[in-house]
Formats: sequence, structure tokens, C-alpha cells
Amino acid sequence: MFSKTAKPVMHSAAWRISLWATLAFACGTMLVFVFLHRFVADDIQRRSDAWLSGEVEVLGDVAERTPKDALYDRVVGEVAELAGKEVPNKLLSESSSNDSVFFLQTGSDGSRQLWVGAGDGEPTLKAIQTAKIVSDHPTDLHVQGFGVPFRVASIRLDDGSYIYLGLSERDELRVLRSLRLRFFLLWLLIVLFGFGIVFYTTQRMLSHVRRIGEAASRIGHSDLTARVPITQKHDEISDLALTLNHMLDRIESSMHQLHTITDSLAHDLRSPLTAIRGKLEMSLSAVMQVEQAEPIVSSIEELDRLTDFLNKSLDVAEAKADALRLSRGALDLDELLRIMIDLYEPSMSEKGLQISLQSSCPLTIDADAALIHRMIANLFDNELKHLPPACSVTIRLSVEDDAASLILDDDGPGFDIEVLQHLFERRVKGKDSNGHGLGLAFIDAVARAHGGTVIASNRESGGARITVALPLASKQGSQSPVPAI
Amino acid sequence: MRLLLVEDELDIQRFLKTSLAEAGYQVEAAADGKTAERLAIDSQFDVLIVDLGLPDQDGISLILKLRQLGVRAPVLILSARRSVDDRVRGLEQGGDDYLTKPFALAELLARLRNLTKRNSPSSAEATRLRVLDLEMDLLRREAIRSGQLLQLTPQEFVLLEYLCRNAGRVVTRSMILDQVWGMRIQPDTNVVDVHIYRLRGKVDGPGQQPMIRTLRGVGYVLKDR
Repeated sequence: MFSKTAKPVMHSAAWRISLWATLAFACGTMLVFVFLHRFVADDIQRRSDAWLSGEVEVLGDVAERTPKDALYDRVVGEVAELAGKEVPNKLLSESSSNDSVFFLQTGSDGSRQLWVGAGDGEPTLKAIQTAKIVSDHPTDLHVQGFGVPFRVASIRLDDGSYIYLGLSERDELRVLRSLRLRFFLLWLLIVLFGFGIVFYTTQRMLSHVRRIGEAASRIGHSDLTARVPITQKHDEISDLALTLNHMLDRIESSMHQLHTITDSLAHDLRSPLTAIRGKLEMSLSAVMQVEQAEPIVSSIEELDRLTDFLNKSLDVAEAKADALRLSRGALDLDELLRIMIDLYEPSMSEKGLQISLQSSCPLTIDADAALIHRMIANLFDNELKHLPPACSVTIRLSVEDDAASLILDDDGPGFDIEVLQHLFERRVKGKDSNGHGLGLAFIDAVARAHGGTVIASNRESGGARITVALPLASKQGSQSPVPAI
Repeated sequence: MRLLLVEDELDIQRFLKTSLAEAGYQVEAAADGKTAERLAIDSQFDVLIVDLGLPDQDGISLILKLRQLGVRAPVLILSARRSVDDRVRGLEQGGDDYLTKPFALAELLARLRNLTKRNSPSSAEATRLRVLDLEMDLLRREAIRSGQLLQLTPQEFVLLEYLCRNAGRVVTRSMILDQVWGMRIQPDTNVVDVHIYRLRGKVDGPGQQPMIRTLRGVGYVLKDR
């Protein structure tokens, strides 16, 4: 399912859609987490603050009630140490000395009276003195030598001394860090999973759209009977397919209509033409004198021209509507051109024209042989009719960009500038032309019907150039080659 | 030679009947498929001419039906339609040759001749052709008139060979284009005439009886008498 695209998957619409959808989803979940994180952090802090405040009050109480004798330090110190063991959010206690809690009592002059905690408490004392903690509410305290700040609650005793209880925020931060890590992993998993699901579904959906597109492009003017595939589901995609098929129905029916009209027109005109021609031929065979035969002969010739005009008109009309019916087969352009030149060379040299072909190898196209024959005959007729004597025609056949390129150069007067613009329209012809003005329109029509192009221009060195490009036969074509003649 | 003509346009049927009779055919005509079927079953025909656009049925289906009924005679399909598909279909589905309307009588006769010849056991392919004092050796690719070797290009040789094979009969320009160059095209220019003109210059030497005759509005004849 994913392999059919020739272009890399990064350039597919499914990739872009999933990328944007995932981005929006990732941003949304990230935002939710930020709020959650803040809520959790605040809650943890509030809890440790409540513990600190309660504990410092108990300690203050104990300190006040304990007589200031030799045992004071031990009693208060033990109570403080005991309190330190009930630290909330305590996750790890791998270090033997409890450095997450400290207890400090200072005298009214700010000097240290009692210290329970890691180290000698000097940095902590200094930090407290500089921070000047007075409020009853716990605040943050950065102590030199500790990476994480302490949360410190204080209470003033009646004797003017202060009791400080500090709790390291290390455990609290550890909780938050582990929360962040878990969330991040979960988030990554969800985002990747979400991306996968979105990519899969859009790819599935779009591959159906692509199949519709491929089918629609396959349905060229040659195969209007095919239809795009329709899924069982009644979603937008199947609606698209249905709409496309309805459109194709209408195109097919109008194409059919056009064919019916041109066919019946051809039939209705050709039948009387056949009868007239037959009668003229019969009366011609009955005539003995040359003078009497002349009008009959010229009538027959006029009739043949009229027939040719009718055929070309209908072909051009159908081709303009991209409705020319082709019966394709392999056709060697090189061989065909050689035969054509063989056919036209005597007439050209009779008129003093030179014709030459530059082509090196067989060049096979997949085309309607009868139409291509008539197209090339038309090109040659054009040169023969419009070139003044002593000119030369050069035909070059080559392969350019997967197409057979047929370039017809002459060194005649070239096209009239005002005619050049709409050379391929019906009934446009040069001032001195005695044709019916369908020649180039027909050439263009045939090239278009085969998916090719015709360009007419004037060469810089003088003379006209007609470039016909026709798609080459596909290499893996299964048709057996049909001779050009 | 018995011929069944199936053509609904009475004008065309009439002149075809006359011309075919003149050419030596015994013609029975039918204006629709029903009559044609009846006639084809009742009697034996050597060749059939069937128009594709019949009032009661499609020409192709008529041919198929006749083939099923055991009619073996070759068929020349006349078509006023323009799509090539029909021609191919016609050829594939048992018709032996086709001709689009309007056509030259000479071409119709030539195709009929080909069809009947194709169906009869042909004698071994001749390697020499002889018309009056013109002789062609097909193996050595040489043409001799009155003992004199003609200097012909390969293309001129093929053209002369075609004229010789049809000596005494009219060949049209489109027949020549089809048979010699293998194209069914209608050039607006006189390309075929120039080829004939050149060939005539080589075949009909000064003082000799002219052999290649132009029938204006019709085509050419290589005289055999």
C-alpha cells in the first residue's frame, strides 16, 4: 500500500497531514502537562510547608518548655533529629547523615546557639543572616555548598531567640524530575503512536484518492468506457469517485453523440457522392469524343476533392473535440518517411525542389498508420504546393525527450507573419494558397490525437520550419510490429 | 460469375448493377438484410458486395449470419462510415476486403477480381510477365521492351509490374498508391502522375507504340492489344 508511490514518502500529502496533526497533538499534550506539573509542584510545596510550619511550632514549644540547663541541647537536639526523620516526600536516604533537614537556634543577637544537621552549620547561619528571614511563612534559602535550596520556616521564641527549621527541596525536585521523565517517555510513545495511526489512515484514504486519479488519467480519449473504482464505504472519497464516474458518463455520451453525428453526416454525404461518381464514370465510359469527356472528367476530380475535404473536415472536427478514433499499431517513422520521399521525390524534382532525409535508425511509434500516412502526405503536399522552384526541403528525424521529433525545414519564403499566429485553425491559409485551408489543421489534429504536438515557425535563416513531436511506442508494448506500409 | 449485391441506396445499386453486368458479372441485388439472406440461401454466389449501413440490420452482423448459414463466398464490404474500427472489425469478422465510399468503379472491379482470385486455387506464381513486346523478368528484376533493356529504378519496376499484372484494365491513382506504396492516402498533388510520366518516358521510347495510356478522371491502362 505504501510502496506504489514513485516519489519519496516525505513528499506525500499523508506525511504532511500526519506531521501537522502530530505537532498539534504534541503541543496540546505538552500544555496539559505544564499545568499538571505546576499543580503537582505547588501541592508538594504546600505539603512540605505545612509540615515545616507545624514542626517548627512544635520545636519552639519544646525549646520554650525545656529548662535552659545542661540537658537543653540534647533534648531539643533529639527532638529536632526525630522530626528530621519524618520528612515528607522522602524517597532516598542513601546518605547516612541526614543532610536534608537542619535545625538551627540563634540567640537574640543572631549568634548560633544550637545546630542539628550536616556540617557545622556555618554556611547556613551566614545565609540566614544575609537573607534576614523573619516571616512566619516558609521561604526559600540558598545555602552555599548545597546545590538545591532549602525551605526554611522560623519562629521567634519569647526570649528573643529564633528557631529555624530547614528542609532541603532535593526530594521534592527529585519527585518532580521523575514525574517529568515518566511523562516525557509516555508523551513520546503517545505522539509516535498517534503519528503512526494518523499516517496510516490518511495514507489509506489518500491512496484511494490516488487510485482514482490514476484511473482517471488512464481514461484518456482512447478508453472512455473505463470507470474509476468505487469503495463500499459511503464517504467523501466514494462520493468523489461517483461524481467522477457521472462526469465520465456524460463525456462518453457526448463523445458517442459526436461520433454518431459525424458518422451519419459522413454516411449521408458519401452515399449521394458515390451515386454521382458512379453515374459520372458510366457516362464517361459512354462518351467517345475528348471534348465531351472534359466536363465529366473535371466533375469527377472536383468530386474527389470534395470527398477529401469532407473526410478531413470530419477528422478535424473530431480531433478538436479530442474524439478522433484511433486504431493503433507499431509504426516505423523512418521507414515511412523513406517511402514517402520515394513517392514525392519525382514531383519535387520536377518542380526543381530538393528533398533530403536525415535519419539514422528505425523509430517506432504507437500510432494509427492510416492517419499518420495522411498527415505526412499532407506535410509533403504543403511543401510541394507552396515552395517556389529551386528550394530544398530537409527532414530530420530524431528522438527527443521520449518523443519522436520530425523537423521539416525549407528555405522558401516562410509563413506570413499574420497567418503564423493561427496557422492550425481551420480555414486559415496563405494569400496564394489554393487549398481548402484544412491541411495544417488536419496535421495538428492528428498529432493531438496521438498525444503529440505540432509547432510551425519561421527559421532565422529564412524559410519555414514545422516540428512534429509524437510519443514513442512504449518499450514493453506487447503489440507485434506492423510494417509501415 | 455470380455476384450478390447488398445495397440499400437504390441510386448506387442501379449504377453498380449496370457496371458490374458490363464487367461480366451476373448480378442479383438486395436492398436489405432479409432479402439478402433469402437470396444467399436459395442460390450459390461466387462473391458478395455488402454495404455496412443497411436499413434492417448491420452489415457486419449480416455477414456473420451468412457465414453461419454456410455462405463461403468472399465479401467486399462497402462502407460510408468513417471510423477505422469498423474496417478492422469488418476484416476480422469474415469480410475479406473493404472499400470506402465514394469509390472508383475500376477500384471496385479490381478488388472483386482479387477476392475471387484469392479464393480460387491459383497457379504457381509466374516469374515472367509478358504484355505485347514488353517483357519482365521478376527474378532478375529486368524489363525489356522490343529487345531493349529498360533502365528502371526499383520503384519504377514495381510500378510497371503492377501495371503489367493488370494489363488491359484500368487502375486508379489510389489503387497504385495502395498496391505500390502501401498507403491509402489521397494526395492533393499529382505525385502518382509524375511517376507514371517518368515511367512512360522509359517504356514508350520514340517511334514505339505508346503502351501506358492515361484515362483522365479515371486512371491508367497498360494496353495489351
